[in-house]
Amino acid sequence: MVNLEFIINTLSLGSLYAMLALGLVIVYGILKLVNFAYGELIMVGGYTMYLLTFYTPLPWLTVVILAVVAAMLTSLFTELVAFRPVREKSLTAMLITSFAVSTLLQNGALLIISPRARAVTLPQIFQTSVMIAGTSVPWRNILTILTCILTLTLLTLLLRRTVLGIALRAAADNFTMTRMLGVPANTVISTAFAISGIMAGIVSIFWIGRSGSVTPTLGAPPLLVAFVATVIGGMNSLTGAVVGGFVYAIIISLLGVILPPGLVEFREAFMFAFVILILVFRPEGLVRSKTSVERIG
Amino acid sequence: MLELNDVQARYGAIIALRGVSINVSQGELVALLGVNGAGKSTTLGCIAGVLRPWQGSISFEGVSILGKSPEQIARLGISLVPEGRDIFPSLTVEENLRLGAFTQREKSEYRRKLDEVYDLFPVLKERLQQPGGTLSGGEQQQLAIARALMSSPRLLMLDEPSLGLAPALVDQIFELIAHLHQTGVTILLVEQNVDRTLEIVDRAYLMNTGRIESQGGAEQLRTHTDIEGIYMGVKTQPKK
Amino acid sequence: MKLAARLKPLDTPLTLVAVVVVLALLVQLAGIDLLTRIVTVMFVSIMLVLGLQLYMGNSGILNFAHIGFMGIGAYTAVLFSMTPEAKILTNSDLYPFLVPLHLPFVPSLLIGGLVAALFAALISYPLMRLSDAAAVITSFALLVIIHVVLLHWDRVSNGPRTLFGVDNYTTLWVSVVFAVITIFAVYFFKESRIGLRLRASRDDRYAAASIGINMVVMRWLAFVASAFIAGVGGGLWAHFITSFTPYSFYLNETFVVLAMLVIGGPYSVSGAVVGTLVVTTAREVLRGIENQVNIMQIFPQGFFGFTEVVLSVVLILILVYRPTGIMGNRELHWPRRRGEAKPAEPTETET
Repeated sequence: MVNLEFIINTLSLGSLYAMLALGLVIVYGILKLVNFAYGELIMVGGYTMYLLTFYTPLPWLTVVILAVVAAMLTSLFTELVAFRPVREKSLTAMLITSFAVSTLLQNGALLIISPRARAVTLPQIFQTSVMIAGTSVPWRNILTILTCILTLTLLTLLLRRTVLGIALRAAADNFTMTRMLGVPANTVISTAFAISGIMAGIVSIFWIGRSGSVTPTLGAPPLLVAFVATVIGGMNSLTGAVVGGFVYAIIISLLGVILPPGLVEFREAFMFAFVILILVFRPEGLVRSKTSVERIG
Repeated sequence: MLELNDVQARYGAIIALRGVSINVSQGELVALLGVNGAGKSTTLGCIAGVLRPWQGSISFEGVSILGKSPEQIARLGISLVPEGRDIFPSLTVEENLRLGAFTQREKSEYRRKLDEVYDLFPVLKERLQQPGGTLSGGEQQQLAIARALMSSPRLLMLDEPSLGLAPALVDQIFELIAHLHQTGVTILLVEQNVDRTLEIVDRAYLMNTGRIESQGGAEQLRTHTDIEGIYMGVKTQPKK
Repeated sequence: MKLAARLKPLDTPLTLVAVVVVLALLVQLAGIDLLTRIVTVMFVSIMLVLGLQLYMGNSGILNFAHIGFMGIGAYTAVLFSMTPEAKILTNSDLYPFLVPLHLPFVPSLLIGGLVAALFAALISYPLMRLSDAAAVITSFALLVIIHVVLLHWDRVSNGPRTLFGVDNYTTLWVSVVFAVITIFAVYFFKESRIGLRLRASRDDRYAAASIGINMVVMRWLAFVASAFIAGVGGGLWAHFITSFTPYSFYLNETFVVLAMLVIGGPYSVSGAVVGTLVVTTAREVLRGIENQVNIMQIFPQGFFGFTEVVLSVVLILILVYRPTGIMGNRELHWPRRRGEAKPAEPTETET
């Protein structure tokens, strides 16, 4: 049934996936690196929320901000310690490194906290709904959409109005040329990783908001979503990532409704087959941009 | 101002430079000539810090710049306009220029350079908000040079600026380079258009398979060296 | 004299085989059950890592789908090797046409390998033209697809539930035989014309771009061969562990195999073997420490994941400080008597 509830749910999901995809693309655009450890940044945000709500009386807003900060700092730390030394070597080395960092963070959480899921006390607002046009809409969904709009606005301002933002976009076009204009590579890359971490932190709020608990393997499903969304959107374009996030949300929601019971569990397999098809036949993604250039290959 | 001494470089197994020694003094307009694959772009790449030579020395104003990163070299005042222009297609013309001035600290200086650039390239002022990728080849070339000028470079390096341009635009480019030379900008020019280049430069080096084959003043090269022979693949014989 | 001369070009695989066989003999003599189990699965791992080395070492492209092919091989092999009664017992939902299938151990393994190879052959041809970045992403996508299918195709794989009742056919010496065969096979591939050409393209991208269609076919062949080995290895592993789920063939296993290859050295056959030996030993030691800490109850919430943390740190350190792994670019050689010439070694290249 495609009704108002479905539409708002899908919009909310799309908002979440758009922010998710953005965090992945911002690093990929510059380094051509798929950061496998990105999902674990969300896990870090989740565990920060757990630790703070469990052990401290801090208000939810503070907890949430600290979760975002934690994710950002983790991202910066991994860049400094693991990715920067390998950057000059090769893409393959960076990819394996990101895989290793992902395993490290996951098992680090396992080791330091626990293999068992930890419940996160959610604020009252995440459990209430409001009536809109006769349908009950969870506040959580509305907040997700609003946060997405706010985040996109701030990010756009950063990328279009500040020199650093212009440098980031230039680096995605041509990293070497950007350096030849005097822009320090480390600054650009650190900024990208910081933004990536912030996006992961924000996503973690609403991801935990849906599930209510955090486990060490929390990062795997969102990583896969980010993956598919960025490929749909064309891997190099931030606008594409946002569109890809919404498209993914729409497709997966529709598949959930359309597919018969025997096939619906294979939704993810279909999405990934779709990914392969896009990479083979249309690597620039489904989003037509004004300056479409063959990005991959 | 710029001095290369016995620079040797390679791409993987391919040896690109076999001992290149050149120098450029302040205010000069010097050319690197040679066929494709002679090593001209590689030489510029080594100076700009994009490629690291495994032997030799490169110094700028007396200080060694070998092994420095591209951003460090740019901050020393060396600007490279690469072959193929490499403007940022998804950035607007204005944003391209803004980034060109990245090493420029003074706000007022930035405004002044912008006006200078608009005077030299009026078409850029018209297309200020357009994405770089929508510009024509000639316009992109102008943007690339304008962008390099924004940082008031002490040494400007141009890699085949006339490549792929219509003849009328080629004239414009060479006039522009000559004009810049007159205003005192030190320029190292790589070109395949030998005749036009020798008309405007002070000196030139002739490269072949990673080495400097011959060098000298423009007039000297024109009359004493078989330039055509080099371009046709025949070994150089100095004309007697 | 003549025999020694004829064996000379084979000295690397022979050395590796000697290491494997001697190890097996020692373990057999020791007669410790746990040790035998560890070493048996280690030899199966050697086979899996070698399979990955065949593709990654020669083409230079990261392949995340390898463990997925292991899974395909495992599930296929047990479908043939288990008796109809055993199959029904573990998966009452099994497709009726699959139930009566019954073959001896080795043919089952081979069919597992063939199915994996066939799947790889059909799926991967268009992927061979992709650039490095895209190729890696598609291999990862393949891994996910295989995993999701295995996870939900209940009527074949028993879904997320454990598939149990597999006969324990994989003994120490069975795994030794397969490890030995694989060592020779992967070494011969490396030294074959295909292997040499692939490595030439790996080392010099610029030249490779102009080679064209042949490159795609050779890459594809290496990919299919690699998948076959993974499939057979998967079947072997299934008959060792005797019960498993689709989660055994996903990210954790991928990480371990990748770590073994990269730490050992992805560019040589010896690297694959050495890496497996080193990492297996390290894992057992670390696991022992983990268990001990847990027994002594030092940490109330349990001490888990220590092994993986150390392993991933080591992997990162290797990538930063010695990206060509323990073996570098070199192969193991039989120790030489003084005065004999050293065989020509390739110069070290970066990862």
